[in-house]
Amino acid sequence: MRSYVALRMVLHDRSSTTGALLGVIAIVFLVGQQLSILFGLLNYMSVLVDHSGADAWITSENVRNSDASGLISGRYADRVMGLDDVEWAEPMLISNGLFRTKDGSYESVRVVGTKRPRLAGGAWEFFAADQDAMLDRESVTVDRLDLEKLGNPRVGDITEIGGQQVRIGAITNGARGFQGTLVFASLDKVSDIARTPPGRYSAILVRFKESADKQAALERLRAILPERSVHSAAGLSNLTRTYYFTTTGIGGSFGFSTVIAVLIGVVIISLTMYTSVLGRVKDFAVMRAIGARKLDIALVVISEAMIIAGIGVFIGFVLLSVLLNATNGSSIPSFLPSEVPALLAIGTILISLMGSLIALRVAVKAEPASVFH
Amino acid sequence: MLLLKNIAKDFSDGREKRRVLFPTSLECRAGELTVLSGPSGSGKTTLLSIIGLVLTPSEGQMFIDDLEVTALSDVEAATIRLKRYGFVFQQAMLVEGLTILDNVMLSFAIQGEKPPADSFEKASALLKTLGLEGTAQMQPRLLSGGMKQRASIARALIKDPPILLCDEPTSALDAESGQVVMETLKRIAIEENRVVIVVSHDARVFPFADRLIQLESGIITSDTRESNQEEKEIIHASH
Repeated sequence: MRSYVALRMVLHDRSSTTGALLGVIAIVFLVGQQLSILFGLLNYMSVLVDHSGADAWITSENVRNSDASGLISGRYADRVMGLDDVEWAEPMLISNGLFRTKDGSYESVRVVGTKRPRLAGGAWEFFAADQDAMLDRESVTVDRLDLEKLGNPRVGDITEIGGQQVRIGAITNGARGFQGTLVFASLDKVSDIARTPPGRYSAILVRFKESADKQAALERLRAILPERSVHSAAGLSNLTRTYYFTTTGIGGSFGFSTVIAVLIGVVIISLTMYTSVLGRVKDFAVMRAIGARKLDIALVVISEAMIIAGIGVFIGFVLLSVLLNATNGSSIPSFLPSEVPALLAIGTILISLMGSLIALRVAVKAEPASVFH
Repeated sequence: MLLLKNIAKDFSDGREKRRVLFPTSLECRAGELTVLSGPSGSGKTTLLSIIGLVLTPSEGQMFIDDLEVTALSDVEAATIRLKRYGFVFQQAMLVEGLTILDNVMLSFAIQGEKPPADSFEKASALLKTLGLEGTAQMQPRLLSGGMKQRASIARALIKDPPILLCDEPTSALDAESGQVVMETLKRIAIEENRVVIVVSHDARVFPFADRLIQLESGIITSDTRESNQEEKEIIHASH
């Protein structure tokens, strides 16, 4: 019944309810949007590892992210293949190159070489043509999102990367790395572009057999290879994300903007709920006089905050989903892991309760004696 | 029955203590409409606030039947107010946003109590008795001052309290509405056998009083019962 009283008050006090709702919506929408960009960028950071299909990565020792491995010997792959747990082990070569556009200008690209015919660690989703096109030594991919930047190349066009002639074999869909445009090519072609010595690679990707105990298999790899060069795919993904998050200022930047969004929301909620309660002090005093305890008044105010938070969270998520749908497939990184909306909703409700604390203090202090003249 | 023994009240501004109600003893019976009257600052509202358990006396004792209620905790006082008191204020003080029916039922809602099954019929009957038939689903702002005040009387009576305290219930009303409200209060006191205490300096309410108590400067200066017209001048030794 106290929540019913709260609901009636919320519905009646339209201007303050609208104000507080805006605060809640601002939190959900702004924080949600910030988080979606952050998680989108985090996906970019570890995109090669996450889509490699490998269980383990062998890199040079002590790497701090998957993009910064020194060259390692291809013989590691032969040693690994001797283990019973291993289904396949394939080399990968990552380098930088300059992509020559139609008008003669150049764009910096990240070239990723994978070994034919398995093409492990290669492109995973195609917009035009398919994986088969990549079986050609000269074929490279460009991504749909980078077409304009690269001068709108089409499948079949001939161009140059790092002075080496290549043919656009396929167009990928959403293959973007944190360091920029991703171009997949054959191992031999990237070796030519990067001018690396034969038999030297950036990483060896390892897939364990279905029946293998993956943790035990990793330990066996570590036993026959330099220990700090063997990573689980998930471990290397986290290592890479943490590296970029902490060293590029992204963490601080997004953390700061998220804090600002929360603060704006809290201030709006606090002020509007405070104003609303100020206008209701007489009512709370009447309730106290006719027998409400301070706890009852507190429950009315908390119920008001919960009702406003519930409605605000709903509207905020509707707006956020509209935004995410609109940016889906665009060059704006946006991704919300499935657990984030629930955490954001809980967090926003807690923030709304925090915002109602000042109002709560005023309401419970309503003096029952003040109703007598 | 309500019994006050040497109840006094001091207020302090931090530097100086000021006595606003001198030791006062009073016994209020059920079935009687008592009017507390006096000029502004005479202590009548202070006395009503103490009787209503919203103000704690500085001295003395107070009993409802045999229960001492002098120095209750905030929660105990609230619960006794809820169970044993009905309040009618100078302004009707109905809660905007709640319908008239919701306002009448407020004392059930406020401590999270589930209203008894017959309470809605009782509320409707009360509204009908008070001439407010058809207003149950209306918002308070749509009612006249007199109607609002009668709705507040319904709110005060919904839990059948043995004590009804009214603070200047007619001062915001026109003569006709004031008369209706006072007639209602008189009927409630006599027919329903309740303690009804009305604070008022409005001379128009005096004819309705079974007992008229005059206060001046925190002292009861006269206490008249309609039945014998015998006036007792009470001179306090402390004055």
